[in-house]
Amino acid sequence: MPKMLHHVTLILLPVVAAFAILPTVYSNHLLLFNFMIFIMLAQGVNVIYGFTGYLPFGYVGFFGAGAYGFSLMVIHLQASPLVALAAGAAAAVVLGLTLTPLFRLSGAYFSIANLAAALAVFQVVSNPNLESLTKGPYGISLSGVFDPTFAYGATLAILGATLGLVIYLRNSRFGMALQAIREDSISAGMAGINVVRERIIAWLLSALIAGLAGSVFAWYVSVFYPETVFSGEFTIFAIVFALFGGNGTVIGPILGVVILYGIYNAVGISTPQYFQLIYGALIMLLVLFLPNGLVSLLRQWGINVP
Amino acid sequence: MLVYSLLAGLLFGLYFSLIGLGLNLVFGVMRIVNLAHGDFLMLGAFLAFWLFTLISLNPIPAIFIVFVVFAIVGLPLYYLLVPRLLRAKDPEMLSFILFFGLSQVIEALATIAFGTSERSIPGGELGRAIVAVASLLTGHHVENGPVDIFGQTFPAAWVASGIASGIAVLLVYVYLYRTRLGYLTRAVMVHREEAIATGINVHRVSAIAFGIGLGLASVAGVFAPFMLGSITPAMGVEVTVTSFTVIVIGSLGKPLGTLLGGIIYGVSYMFMQSYYSSWANLLPYVLLVAILLVRPSGLLGRQVRRA
Amino acid sequence: MTRHAIFAGLIASVISVATTAPAADAPKEISLGTLYASSGRFASISMPVHYGLKLWIDQKNAEGGVFVKAFNKKIPLKLVAYDDQSNTATAATLYNQLITQDKVDILIADSGSVLTSVAVPIARDHKMLLINQTGTGATFFTPDNPYIVLMADPVSSVWPKPLADFITHDGPHLGIKRVAILYATNDFTGTQANAVRKFIKESNSDVDIVFDQGIPTETSSYTVLLNNIKASNPDAVIHLGYASNDIAFLRNVQDSGIKFNFVFCIYPGLETELLEKNVGSKGLNYVFTYVPSSQIAYQSQFGMSLNEYEAAWQQKYGNTNVEFGFNSVAGYTTGLVLEKALAAATSLDQLELRKAIFSLSGNLKTLDGTFALDEAGAQIGEITPLGQLIAEGDHVKFVTVWPHDVSTGKPIYPRP
Repeated sequence: MPKMLHHVTLILLPVVAAFAILPTVYSNHLLLFNFMIFIMLAQGVNVIYGFTGYLPFGYVGFFGAGAYGFSLMVIHLQASPLVALAAGAAAAVVLGLTLTPLFRLSGAYFSIANLAAALAVFQVVSNPNLESLTKGPYGISLSGVFDPTFAYGATLAILGATLGLVIYLRNSRFGMALQAIREDSISAGMAGINVVRERIIAWLLSALIAGLAGSVFAWYVSVFYPETVFSGEFTIFAIVFALFGGNGTVIGPILGVVILYGIYNAVGISTPQYFQLIYGALIMLLVLFLPNGLVSLLRQWGINVP
Repeated sequence: MLVYSLLAGLLFGLYFSLIGLGLNLVFGVMRIVNLAHGDFLMLGAFLAFWLFTLISLNPIPAIFIVFVVFAIVGLPLYYLLVPRLLRAKDPEMLSFILFFGLSQVIEALATIAFGTSERSIPGGELGRAIVAVASLLTGHHVENGPVDIFGQTFPAAWVASGIASGIAVLLVYVYLYRTRLGYLTRAVMVHREEAIATGINVHRVSAIAFGIGLGLASVAGVFAPFMLGSITPAMGVEVTVTSFTVIVIGSLGKPLGTLLGGIIYGVSYMFMQSYYSSWANLLPYVLLVAILLVRPSGLLGRQVRRA
Repeated sequence: MTRHAIFAGLIASVISVATTAPAADAPKEISLGTLYASSGRFASISMPVHYGLKLWIDQKNAEGGVFVKAFNKKIPLKLVAYDDQSNTATAATLYNQLITQDKVDILIADSGSVLTSVAVPIARDHKMLLINQTGTGATFFTPDNPYIVLMADPVSSVWPKPLADFITHDGPHLGIKRVAILYATNDFTGTQANAVRKFIKESNSDVDIVFDQGIPTETSSYTVLLNNIKASNPDAVIHLGYASNDIAFLRNVQDSGIKFNFVFCIYPGLETELLEKNVGSKGLNYVFTYVPSSQIAYQSQFGMSLNEYEAAWQQKYGNTNVEFGFNSVAGYTTGLVLEKALAAATSLDQLELRKAIFSLSGNLKTLDGTFALDEAGAQIGEITPLGQLIAEGDHVKFVTVWPHDVSTGKPIYPRP
């Protein structure tokens, strides 16, 4: 318990406080908002990949489900933003539940199937035959709930909750059980861990995080096409950031987002044409030379990383 | 309408079998997910385009050049990337990300070199090759134009790519089941560690398979301007996802499986286009998930599961 | 005496301050903020627009700047432009950057509905007028949002009127009774399909729609669709899609040997060079399309005429691979409208600029046609007439067929 409190004060509070204070000195709030979204998504990937070893290549499916859950509540039921947020999160969790049979598959198959499932959800949502329900490919335009300040505040709260969750996982028996499953699921099962149940819980938590992120994204930007919230880029960035920082830790994904997404925005503004090239090369070097992330470097130097 | 969709699906599906063939080989041998597969297809397409534009080389002879070029490129690429990757804790997952990075690098270089506009090769070119062969075989002059099959008319390009795919599948089959190298390759596909233990130079076998895989992708690329309308540097990603569907349906490691997978995909896609056109793009993903859940080893394969 | 002197001195200083104050307040430069896509799927429509705008800016700066009525002098222009790489999330962050960090005076959107869409709520939230160049999505223009105006393309719900009018008025005389519509389901072409359908149904003519299907925008294989269309025996086939859809469609028509009496596609008009390269002049022969302003020398009363502009373009950009066409005219038109607006607006306040721009509606005739806005800021002028392409060697030439007052020839129907 005390260790958790230690982590909370050292990590959670400063990060949340930073994002709460920065808007007063830096006026591109949308950029700060995007940083928070990516921290959440990277942590979500961390929960499922870092802790259970399954790579969710269709992670953006939950994000999009959250965004559309939120939007549909607002458009059809004129719900208030907080109720709609809950609906978006619920939509993502329901999608996660539907996809649990995928766990029967091994490694690469799981990832491919997850990717296909996310693309399938995208195709369904953006289909013109469903225009009256989801506005099909013509995009969502939310009026009436546009409130960037409130949305930003909600995002701060969700960020805090997400970090809290990961800290809990890092320091609890549940988290250790997950890591045991990742290392060797058969031995873990023999040691008495309910492999299937624990894995599903982690999966649903991961879906919940993405769903909340998607909902608050829809709230903040209020105008988007289906391609925007189902873009594979969200998955890739989240995975790369988590990988770069280091999976299975709390700080890893945060470091990954701050450094890589920061570079992305800085480079993107100055030398855009070589941008995709630099990023692609960076990803390759990362996998080849630092597959366990930055925190593995820190660990090599003897620092214990939370 | 029904018969047309069926025949069109067959031809279209054969093309996708060709696309999936290379991916199948690579995944089967190395358990590596080559997310850059579609980008190699794109490179093959551009090479064929430049050969046609600069030296007026007909795409059919270009196929051989393109295959050799990319097979040769595959060898050093393998040695550069894969041995290091296999030493990591979770090579299958990391390969996803590594080859995704490669895909981005290739796309970026292609965009810088070629620009983003669409390119294509005139449809008549493939027709000319068929006409030449047909004239040779039948002894009298054959018209260059659409081809009649069972009373339905199809573009000559579709027939040409169908024939080419059939030949490619046959060649891969012969390679795997009739040559010594293919025999070793199959051994590595079944169980890598055991293959090493029996003294097979696994890296060499894998590198050659990788080169062949890339070569096949680029050959499929030569037909891309005809089957897919036009080529751009960004076309790789979608092709990769669809080719996964094809190989998963057919089961990994078996060329005949990819053939079957491609045909099933092609026929169902054409039916969707005819009757439920706006849902057509949903099909590959639903098929993929359904097959993986109902019969994960594919229609022709054996069980592959983990606890 | 002293009091008088002091009083006079005070009045004099007040007067001199009052008369010099505007000049002293005048900014050093007027900053224009915009985005462009140098890569990704919108690069081919974004770069020509961006280059067109830049041409106008460079021209004005060579003359010492643009005349700004608010300060009664010429002020140079400064362009602040970022690359969004066709990515909407990046575009949103960059639009925000332009407004909150760079604090630009005028906000200009990137090209196309998708990249413009993210700017709409951002501009509205920050109370900046969004200069929308080619984003024709009808949903952008609502009566409750004054912070948007469309510069250079007609709004999608109005754009296909010449096509529909030709089919319903001239069509029946030529023998056109059955129409097939095939459209890609996205904001741009889907809205045009809705408009065509609506205009045909409301026209009380004998024309029937016998085939009406939507396909995903990524579709690249039309062989089966063409077979199905042929089975419905149409007199006219209308295909509404993006450039890559049109390329695949026309190639498939050519390769499968099917002959339709009348075929309409959008992009042979909007990106003629690209289609000539990929489909070939033979494949484009007798195809109907929109006649873009880059093909018609409108009587321009302000700014360069088409020929002058094309010459200037070739001189400046002839050695790049950005093609001259409809979109390059759009960027330049944006500049011309802004020039006129700055010369009329009494301040740089965003709603003042809007008033100034609205005052041009119906009165401004440029190389793009007549500028006309409806109350919500959507462009209802600058209409592209309907024309037919005739192959001449490796290229095609345009024959305008509707409306009759601008037509240059008779349509060839049915296709020989």
